[in-house]
Amino acid sequence: MAHNFKNDVTVDWCPGCGDFGILTSITQALAELNLNGNDVVAISGIGCSGKTPHYLNMGGVHTLHGRSIPFATGVKLANPNLKVIVPSGDGDMLGIGAGHFVAEGRRNTGLTLIIYDNEVYGLTKGQAAPTMQLGEQTKSLARPNVFGKVNPITLALSSGYSFVARGFSFDMKQLKDLIKMAVMHEGSAVIDVLQPCPTYNNVNTMEWYRQRVYKLEEEDKNWDPVITPGNENQAEEKFQKAYTKGMEWGDRIPTGVFYDNRTIPSFTKRLNEFVPNYLDYPPSQQIVTGKDGYTPVDPYGTFAEKLI
Amino acid sequence: MDLNVAIGGPQGGGIDTSSNMINRAFAEAGYNVFGVREYHSNIKGRHSYNHLRVNEERPRSLRYPVDIIVALDADTIFEHLEDVGPGTKIIYDRSFESSDLAQARMIMRDTARRIKETLDGAKFPNTVKGAVDYMKSRGGIPMPIPFNDVVASANAEGPAARYFNTLGSAVTLSIAGLDQKFTIEAIKQVFSNKEKVVAENVRVVEAAYRYASENGLAGKPLKTLQKKKRFLITGNDGSAIGKLMGGLRLQTYYPITPASDESTILEEHEEYSFIEGEKNRLKRGGVVVVQTEDEISAVTMAQGAALTGTRASTATSGPGFSLMAEGIGFAGMDEVPIVVTLYQRGGPSTGLPTRNGQSDLLFALNTGHGEFPRIVLSSGDVEECIYDAMKALNYAQRYQLPVIHLIDKNLANTTDMIPDIDTKRVPVPQTLKTVPSSDFHRYSLKTETGISEMGILGKDIFWMTGDEHDELGHVTEDTEMRDSQMRKRFKKLETALQEIPINDQAILYGPDKADITFVTWGSQKGPILDVMEDLKKEGISANLLYLKMFLPFPSEFVKKVLGKAKLIIDVESNMLAQAAMVIKLNTGISIEKSILKYNGRHMTEDEILKAAKDIYSGKSKNEIEVLQNGA
Repeated sequence: MAHNFKNDVTVDWCPGCGDFGILTSITQALAELNLNGNDVVAISGIGCSGKTPHYLNMGGVHTLHGRSIPFATGVKLANPNLKVIVPSGDGDMLGIGAGHFVAEGRRNTGLTLIIYDNEVYGLTKGQAAPTMQLGEQTKSLARPNVFGKVNPITLALSSGYSFVARGFSFDMKQLKDLIKMAVMHEGSAVIDVLQPCPTYNNVNTMEWYRQRVYKLEEEDKNWDPVITPGNENQAEEKFQKAYTKGMEWGDRIPTGVFYDNRTIPSFTKRLNEFVPNYLDYPPSQQIVTGKDGYTPVDPYGTFAEKLI
Repeated sequence: MDLNVAIGGPQGGGIDTSSNMINRAFAEAGYNVFGVREYHSNIKGRHSYNHLRVNEERPRSLRYPVDIIVALDADTIFEHLEDVGPGTKIIYDRSFESSDLAQARMIMRDTARRIKETLDGAKFPNTVKGAVDYMKSRGGIPMPIPFNDVVASANAEGPAARYFNTLGSAVTLSIAGLDQKFTIEAIKQVFSNKEKVVAENVRVVEAAYRYASENGLAGKPLKTLQKKKRFLITGNDGSAIGKLMGGLRLQTYYPITPASDESTILEEHEEYSFIEGEKNRLKRGGVVVVQTEDEISAVTMAQGAALTGTRASTATSGPGFSLMAEGIGFAGMDEVPIVVTLYQRGGPSTGLPTRNGQSDLLFALNTGHGEFPRIVLSSGDVEECIYDAMKALNYAQRYQLPVIHLIDKNLANTTDMIPDIDTKRVPVPQTLKTVPSSDFHRYSLKTETGISEMGILGKDIFWMTGDEHDELGHVTEDTEMRDSQMRKRFKKLETALQEIPINDQAILYGPDKADITFVTWGSQKGPILDVMEDLKKEGISANLLYLKMFLPFPSEFVKKVLGKAKLIIDVESNMLAQAAMVIKLNTGISIEKSILKYNGRHMTEDEILKAAKDIYSGKSKNEIEVLQNGA
């Protein structure tokens, strides 16, 4: 029987919160991938999004604000067999954790980053998040937002993420499919999820988004963001198209897969070239105790060059 | 024989290579060398030197005045003006003599001003010649050598300056009376048998020995001792070796002096070898070393790895450790086994990036907001670094908390000769779980020790949160659960205090009762043990309370030792006598006398001895003696 990824912990998000759609999409995606509860872990940051792991019937770590990415990278590097999903807020990923977000693009460890993008800091009562437009004023702001917005799609592309997509939390079918693709993607994937905050964002509401979102593949029947091995020469053109589409915002907001480059080796594969037997015996699978209860490591052989 | 040498030159000028030659040459003849590296935060040009001590035993401290100063540049003469005493041989290139202090732009402005004041005050010109004459007036023996001519006589290829370090070392070794064959053997080792380079340098060695002999510099032949195999390693090396033996399989780091060498060494040995008999049983794996984007990432990434059952750690220095505060708090709250090796340098802020300090003790004990248990331990010599790194990994696993391992910069950059590495001294218990737990409560309160079963991501389904949590790891704000979980976490410290042998917490060296009781931690251990012997010769008995663990703190043992003490002198490399503060906090005992140093340089035997005698004799009425040795 397929593992049930939903547990019975009481969900305390606000009624009508876009987070519910993300939670359901995650549980459905993991179940459809036929994963077991010990095949996948969720590592979150802080805020409403950060609570997600508690609502999932699988290993879950609700870490520090902005630090979900490095925690998750450590998990994946020590046990590359695990699927690691990272549900985190826009503040987590693109504000306090922006440095980690950029660094993870360079690493391409193989994480699934799900950005809960609602343009506000909900749990602290609605301050502007880094994804809020310049000049926008949601209801708890004393004056219009004085900062420009960071664009999650183009930043992800520029940082080197090999899978970049956008979903809408009220289109769970599409979001579930994006999560499935992202989880199965070998490198690191970013899904920017438009997720209305019904309590603090009275501008970018569910209705506001519904009127604007469209699917890249429906708009353009030839939309093909995938680069497969052997077709590395398509990467530049597809990256530019993805970037151009990533700039689109306002009356029309594209969703779907912007970029899916399967030719960039993951960090774990890169490590395997240098660290002996890394993928067969990753750090979490190594036996560190010798037969007699002492170290099996030979300092004389390992550090022979230090012997005089 | 007991020889102290300072060999200095411009950063990037091969000072380390020189010391390496000297170390290896003496080692070939059966002697032991102990050395400390002092350098600026600079890539090329500023003054750098190694202070070495050689003898038949195991040297463990350094002393001024030195017996030989080797100056590979003019700045070295100026910088070490005060480090000579009667009989100190001063080796330098004759061509330096005309160098003017005003032109020595790589000397720090205030250092140059002080040198000028000294020379002016004693009425010597502000030149190397003047400086050498000043040294001579204090008993120094100038030995100007025509570096270029000697190198030219060797027909060595390339610019002569390339060979100054070999020349300086060879002359030193000749003065010490070491047979040329040992020096040549050292050259072969240092240049890893690169044939051509070895040949050029061997000719320079021969020329140097020839010059020394023809000019009456060569010392009387030194007795050759039986050579035994030893490890020539630093504190950085020791910690890396210990971690690898202790089961470390993932290390994260962000580049910082003086910590990153440890990670670099681990990366160079990412492929390790097994002891005989294990090769067939265990398939060879590797150690993963990750350079992260910052120290926040380093400390959290290591925790991610730890949650999969991996022994994981990171290494940093003060500024990086400051960034790690929130991550260490998470490890405390969520009971994550990680080791943070904290290489202390002179603070605050960027402070003295390449200089010694012990000013992070109170910070290590209090890093992060809120109250959570941690273990803080400290090493005092290179050998301890090895075994303490292993123990630190064991403690982290056993007690599921952050372990902070303190190593000071002085120790990190100490070179020592270790007779052997004992793979059976510290057990490495297997903690990797093979059977998943059903109905798993990660933070179960059903525990006498405070320790609950570790959850392994990929094996168990469980939850964790930096929020206060219930037994399952879900967020709670329930008042009773809060109290229970706080008590559970802190219970582990009581368990640790009971389980960890007292010798791993604190050691009393010397007699039970003594005229002077020293208290110290970290790299002053060696110098103080030597000072105790010096005092004994003068009829003053001394013992040493050496602290290794600050949390949990061995209060009873410390009370017992200090309760019997007549005169307690605390010795530390900081301004506030932080260990003395910790002692007072835990035992109520106030230590009235301190010998402190915070100029960033290593403490030497002579300066501790003098300060201790001044305090003991009553010559000094100060509560604090501040030491100032070191260029």
